[in-house]
Amino acid sequence: MKANPRDVNSGTYYMDGDVASGYGALAAGCRFIGGYPITPSTEAAETFARIAPKAGAVFIQMEDELASIASVMGASWSGVKTMTITSGPGYSLMMEAIGLGAMIEAPFVILNIQRGGPSTGVPTKTGQADMMQSRWGSHGDYEVIAISPDSPQELFDYTIKAFNLSEKYRCPVMIMADECVGHMSEKVVIPPAEEIEIEPRRFYDGPKEKYLPFKPDQDLVPKMVKAGDGYNLYITGLVHDEKGYPIKNQMEKGKRQKLPTRRLVDKIRLNADKIIELNEEGLDDADVVVVSYGISYRVAVRGIEKAREKGIKVGSLRLITVWPFPDKKINELASKVKAFVVPEINYGQIVFEVERCSHGQANVVLVPHGGAGVHNPDDIAEAIEYAVKEKKKIRKVIEWKTRLEKFVFEGGCKLNK
Amino acid sequence: MAEIRFAGYGGQGIIRSGIIVGKGASIYDNKFSTMNQAFGPEARGGACSSQVLLSDTKVLYPYVTVSDVLVAMSQEGYDMFEPELSDKGTLLIDEDLVKSKPIRGKIKSFSIPSTRLAEELGNRVFANVVMLGFFTAATKLVSKEGMEKAVADSVPERFIKLNLKAFQKGYDYYKE
Amino acid sequence: MNPIITAFANGIKKSGVELSNIVVVSDIPFEPEIIKDLGVDFFHVTRGRAIAFGTGLKLGNPDLKVVAFIGDLMTLGGNHLVHSGRRNMEMLVICVNNFVYKEIAETPAPSVSSPSETGKKFHGTGGFSAFSTFEKPFNAPHLANSCGAVFTARWTAMHTNELTNSIANALLKRGFSVIEVLSPGPNFYKDINQIDSELLDFYYKNSVTKNNEDTRNVEITSEEKIITGEFTDKEKSPFIDTYNAQLGKILGDKFIPLGGHSGRD
Repeated sequence: MKANPRDVNSGTYYMDGDVASGYGALAAGCRFIGGYPITPSTEAAETFARIAPKAGAVFIQMEDELASIASVMGASWSGVKTMTITSGPGYSLMMEAIGLGAMIEAPFVILNIQRGGPSTGVPTKTGQADMMQSRWGSHGDYEVIAISPDSPQELFDYTIKAFNLSEKYRCPVMIMADECVGHMSEKVVIPPAEEIEIEPRRFYDGPKEKYLPFKPDQDLVPKMVKAGDGYNLYITGLVHDEKGYPIKNQMEKGKRQKLPTRRLVDKIRLNADKIIELNEEGLDDADVVVVSYGISYRVAVRGIEKAREKGIKVGSLRLITVWPFPDKKINELASKVKAFVVPEINYGQIVFEVERCSHGQANVVLVPHGGAGVHNPDDIAEAIEYAVKEKKKIRKVIEWKTRLEKFVFEGGCKLNK
Repeated sequence: MAEIRFAGYGGQGIIRSGIIVGKGASIYDNKFSTMNQAFGPEARGGACSSQVLLSDTKVLYPYVTVSDVLVAMSQEGYDMFEPELSDKGTLLIDEDLVKSKPIRGKIKSFSIPSTRLAEELGNRVFANVVMLGFFTAATKLVSKEGMEKAVADSVPERFIKLNLKAFQKGYDYYKE
Repeated sequence: MNPIITAFANGIKKSGVELSNIVVVSDIPFEPEIIKDLGVDFFHVTRGRAIAFGTGLKLGNPDLKVVAFIGDLMTLGGNHLVHSGRRNMEMLVICVNNFVYKEIAETPAPSVSSPSETGKKFHGTGGFSAFSTFEKPFNAPHLANSCGAVFTARWTAMHTNELTNSIANALLKRGFSVIEVLSPGPNFYKDINQIDSELLDFYYKNSVTKNNEDTRNVEITSEEKIITGEFTDKEKSPFIDTYNAQLGKILGDKFIPLGGHSGRD
């Protein structure tokens, strides 16, 4: 289905990533955003609030993030596409509800413009330390989709893609951008509506009395209806059967296999190949592969260039989709390359996923960064150089000592010596 | 590839200058550009800076490492970012606001009375646009037409004329 | 069937509101046997978030009649209550007050009054309340009224007719309405025989109806009779009307107002 021209502000702009995401949400057909202002994500909400009323969409500033995310799920079940926008502390507040969202299979998008953390952290500067939180933040078993854009144009494009994925798989989709990308200004081209492909909600169209809200289709995703359309819905966060009724005795014979959590996990895991999007460059003859995402990818490119100048064969694997994780791809590469180098603006999150999927076949080097800034590309280049020279198989994640880390280590953290 | 740094204090239009250059290059000159700003309390008074990268191909690494052009509108900004300027770079300072050190390497240095020229037009808020006019003429990194369109596009409609006048004033000052 | 649900069903009938248009959001676990036969849509969400979830439903489809059945209204849901009152979000909140979190353990809720001989009836005896409670309780109708609710009432679960009428009245109200229902314990959704009938009776007999009473005077104490009645009934522009008026004023023809199905695809 093509986007509605009313929702698409076509043109060529010079704008920052936050603003681009606000435009992207409307173009994707978003009709409701409940949000609460928080740096560095506020501009995205402001943008949507400004343009939405002209397209019949609504922005409401809720009383807090707990309310924002709950309202988004309510609106989702009322039949419209929805999103919320937040950062660090607000994201943490939303965690409980994400489990509900997964459980009641409400399609919705969360834009998280990551900042430095933990706690209030560095509100105006960058971080990539919410990556694991986005995967495991709520209690219980569920799967999500997370995307990591690296430019304002991508924040426009991938906001639309996030909506499409959430409608297709009926699960929370997180846009895990960061302050750098959110506040960076670049040219953004918003194409005409007829060039924007959007995924319509998959509404049920069978006989009313036969509708089962949690009976999956072939691809494990059930069809949806709108609240208020006379389907006598019973939708609960309790473990439920296909009708939606709570399963009272989970050990009851014949009921156990009907627990929905298996399907909540499988609908993403078994469709992972269709969901995952990667950007590969120079992998064919690479000795070392740099695995990166978001702003760290753009920084790593400079490091990769420097390493190549020294004759090192280094490839780049950029995770556009971070969750579900590209297990297969990493495993396949691990059998061919000497090492992975993973620069990320945290003290090790995605690097452990790379280590898990590499199954001890290749060394894994973490280039850490404590946040509030990006890597020095020289650190990445040196880590690559080390990785290609290291002959030993080191059976743990190797933490590269960056300039910043050395400075902190030598300057202050005497205890560690 | 050119790396440009604007430095000054909040309220001088330092970030707007970055946006105008970025917009002029990428939208009207069909090049690629990335603009980053120092965001936070500093954007509302105190030290303030923005950086623009211009390139004929997609900009990947988005930050200034060695700047080719430094536009300094405050002493603090000059002191902080002067060491970052390339030996062959171009330095533009507001002569009433910045006292420069002796010239290093092959740096081309220009002192412009941008605030004074803006005051002649009736308001010192145009100082950054005067500076942009001079910047355009001196560096030739972005076309004059592109810059003029970007200026017109970035200010409220009723101020377009005055801004273009300020731009021209800076541009002419270099020609003189 | 539970007396509150019965009153709710009768209230809907009396109000004439289309059943399929009603969406019930709750943060307490109903048993499906009770709610499924009602013919309404039902959502059971995380603790305290029923009002916020309902806000999304209402703004996603302004044609819906949203009813929030809440147990955690004044604790987890407190901020949502306060702000929805301020916004005058069109919604009926039915706060089932049993004074304790009896489902979990017999721990006191912030609606419970301070201890006394008679007051012991109000209290749980286990869990956190091993030493009884000593904190001041909330006065729910007054809290709602102060926040801007257009309709407030309080009944015990035994006031079947009165409760039915209030629910019917509130469903027709355009704005944020709050009805507090005093009901003993968590088993209210079970067979009436299992309800602590002594306690239910105690609430009923210990109450006095004073319609239009100033909400400042309706605090529940251990010493005095429980005041029941309809306390607030006023007219105020609901959120969607105010939103449409304000944005219409600024954006003129460019504005597509909320309401009907205009916003839906």
